[in-house]
Amino acid sequence: MMRNSFFKILILALIIASLGIVSIYSSTFQKETTQWQEIYKRQMLWLIIGLACFFFISRFNYRKLWDANYFIYAAAIFFLLLVFGLGVIRLGAQRWLRIAWFNFQPSEFAKLAIIIFLARYFSRKTVDDTSLSSGKFGIFRGIILPFIFVAIPMFLIIEQPDLGSGLMLMLVFVGLLYLTNVRLKYIFTLLVALILPMPFFWHFLHDYQKQRLLVFLNPNIDPLGAGYTVIQSRIAIGSGGFFGRGWLRGSQSQLYFLPESHTDFIFATFSEQWGFLGSSLLILMYYLIIRQGLIIAQRTADSFGKLLAYGISLLLALQVFINIAMNMGLAPVVGLPLPMMSYGGSSVLVTFIALGILVNIDRTRNVF
Amino acid sequence: MERKSILNLIIILLFSALIIGLLNLAILQGAKFRRLSDSNCIRLISQFGSRGNILDRNGEIIVGNKISYDVMILPQDLNHIDQVLGLVSRILGVEVKQLKAAFKKNFISSSVPVIVANNIKLKDAILLGEHKIEQPSIIITPKPLRYYPYGALACHLVGYVNEIDRWRLTKLEDYGYKTKDIVGFGGVEEKYDYYLRQEEGGLSVEVNHRGKFMRVLGFQPPRNGKDVTLTLDLKIQKIVEGNLNGRKGSVILMDPYSGEILALANFPNFNPAIFVDQRSKLIAGLFNDPDAPFLNRAIASSYPPASVFKVVLACAGLELKKINLFTSFVCQGSTMVGARRFKCWDVHGSEDIFQAIAHSCDVFFYKTGLLIGAQNIHDYALKLGLGKNAGFELAGETSGFIPSPLWRKMNKFQNWFDGDTANLSIGQGDCLLTPLQATNMLAVFANRGYLLSPYIVKAVGDLDLSAKKKRLTGVPFKKSTLEVVAKGLARVVSDDQGTGNALSALPVKVAGKTGTAQVSRGATHAWFVGFFPLDKPRYAICVFLENGGPGHAASVIAKQIIEAMNNQGLI
Repeated sequence: MMRNSFFKILILALIIASLGIVSIYSSTFQKETTQWQEIYKRQMLWLIIGLACFFFISRFNYRKLWDANYFIYAAAIFFLLLVFGLGVIRLGAQRWLRIAWFNFQPSEFAKLAIIIFLARYFSRKTVDDTSLSSGKFGIFRGIILPFIFVAIPMFLIIEQPDLGSGLMLMLVFVGLLYLTNVRLKYIFTLLVALILPMPFFWHFLHDYQKQRLLVFLNPNIDPLGAGYTVIQSRIAIGSGGFFGRGWLRGSQSQLYFLPESHTDFIFATFSEQWGFLGSSLLILMYYLIIRQGLIIAQRTADSFGKLLAYGISLLLALQVFINIAMNMGLAPVVGLPLPMMSYGGSSVLVTFIALGILVNIDRTRNVF
Repeated sequence: MERKSILNLIIILLFSALIIGLLNLAILQGAKFRRLSDSNCIRLISQFGSRGNILDRNGEIIVGNKISYDVMILPQDLNHIDQVLGLVSRILGVEVKQLKAAFKKNFISSSVPVIVANNIKLKDAILLGEHKIEQPSIIITPKPLRYYPYGALACHLVGYVNEIDRWRLTKLEDYGYKTKDIVGFGGVEEKYDYYLRQEEGGLSVEVNHRGKFMRVLGFQPPRNGKDVTLTLDLKIQKIVEGNLNGRKGSVILMDPYSGEILALANFPNFNPAIFVDQRSKLIAGLFNDPDAPFLNRAIASSYPPASVFKVVLACAGLELKKINLFTSFVCQGSTMVGARRFKCWDVHGSEDIFQAIAHSCDVFFYKTGLLIGAQNIHDYALKLGLGKNAGFELAGETSGFIPSPLWRKMNKFQNWFDGDTANLSIGQGDCLLTPLQATNMLAVFANRGYLLSPYIVKAVGDLDLSAKKKRLTGVPFKKSTLEVVAKGLARVVSDDQGTGNALSALPVKVAGKTGTAQVSRGATHAWFVGFFPLDKPRYAICVFLENGGPGHAASVIAKQIIEAMNNQGLI
């Protein structure tokens, strides 16, 4: 049983990550400089490091995270604050920290940190008491206190600005609240409190964020500006047809009509080349990984492990869904990578660590 | 339901939504997006072939093409547009502002060269070519343009070329015509446009998101249009135009056996080159000219035939046996028809059929006409090809008109009187015919019995059309009738008193008929229609001068033309 989930997750993740490298290779293969052309090698390196982390973490008892919880949370906040001071500005956003030879994106790390924190917050110290107490929580302990803990890193992330990751945290938070049996009326109160001042928040959005939301509603208002990416990405996906145009044959990605074809819009790059067939298989593989996560969560008795597994699955599912939906023009363009596929070390690393935790939860369950 | 099951369900629903979205984009709308993708990255750069030449019967070029040079600028490698345009403006002597405006107007994408100046001089093209190394973005491309080596020569037959208009575009869209296409207007250029027009070729190239050239996907060489060979003889045409020389009217020379038009000239005329140079003021002036220089008078306008029509009377009289070779009438300068006196133009005394034709005696034909009757005159006129289209291939032919009692009754509710018959007998009244019909009618006497369908195009490309075009219709007259009338036509010239006596001095024997048509306003129209050489006719000729005076004037022009042809050994 244990080996089962370990291998299932490992093999699916490896296939997806390899497809990601193939797509990154194809999207940068026409670029002039070797620095660009060799970007897929860096991704391979990240994958190897990610796999190493996966194997290490999968043998590292996740219960230790319970103890390290406050340290992890503090570290996440620290890195996020550091980004403000020392962050590298790229594509108009300050999201990266330059460490040695790579750029580290603390917001990726923060997502995982907050899931660990929330799982810890809503669970008991002992593994023997498996019941969740949060059903009896009042509004302060159930909603307001955890919200404050989530809101601090979320605010820092949104200010980078990275609206996508920020909202992602909020969605994971609400999802976990729901799973921890916090009373529904409290959750609704929170949602109402979040949604009502939306028109007010509108004024705090950056111009480009407003533009993106407007463009999501109608991409044709600015076809060469903010709407360009979505239009080109839809063309790329649509022109793939059923079987796709073949590897290295996609004109949208090969001739750079599609911006960010190796990062946020890698799904469009993949879809153009492999068509409906390849893309739906890819979506299916993502679903299978997430399903493994949910199954692990369900059969874990330990409430901390359960919530952790739910949180990780939820985070993966939401990231995959929002990214692909945004590629197809079904969601507004927010800067979210496609886990395991998109180019980017932090994302690959954090995703494989998360998968490692997931596998470890399943493994440890049998030890007890 | 438990919360975790609901979560499970939500995730399944979300992922199903992704698959449905994918289905919608890639399968349902796949073809549309594929097209959009192609139009993103595929550009067409067109290359021009040249329009077919229009040749005379001996292969001489009447309308050809010359190479013109366009200056284009490739925006792709452009750093300093002002510098490049400055250089072009210095050499061409055109203001930078104008070049810049043209650049902006014609810009398509950075991989497609932009035309900034059209039709520049060869000298300037070479000068600009020398700057190729320092300014690689300047491209000089040759483009074929319509060229008219003889200016206005045969302009009404040839027509002109211009940008397609809306009306033609709506009719021709299905045949591959596009906006901005250069098409023929009028004459052979319009009628044979489909064969003359070149097929645009071009390069399809792949470009990237900046419009930068990546690679060539395909190349289709442009195809030149087919040459059209006319039946026209350039030498005769030149003689004809030289002799018409500014007189309003038209001249036709036709092969009396095949119907090939050997020369056809009208005045006023126009120079088709003004459309190539787009001299809009001049063009507007021509279109508003009351003398209608675009009108092909030889086929598109009809005139009273006057004495030329007497040929019809002579045939009808002989065929119907109302007169014979021994019939003669006395001309005392006039005759009474009913209560009205109808005048002859002279006092001829006793005239038989030969003399009457030679002297164009009105009295003889008044009396003959009254014997024949108006309806018979009408019928015989139609047998000689009048009152209906001659079947000429170019557009705009008019059928002329031959009145008849029946027509008048039905359309005007008026009776026909003998006076009308008398008027018709000398080709006046409502009777109208085109110079081409007159030529065709006289050709019947040259070839002794065949009505022809005149034509102008001998061959398209290598395909000889003359066998298809030659259409003879037998005229059901007795041989003797034709002989008698032909003899009379010969007497017009050979008789001392003949109205065409001016032509007798020629070394070539000519037969024909003059005409002097009364018009309601201005001087009379002058006709001379005939054929030569008499023994073995090779040419049917018609000289028509609008408001040109008496028929004698036309016969003088005919004489000059035949003389010149003789001098050049064309007869």
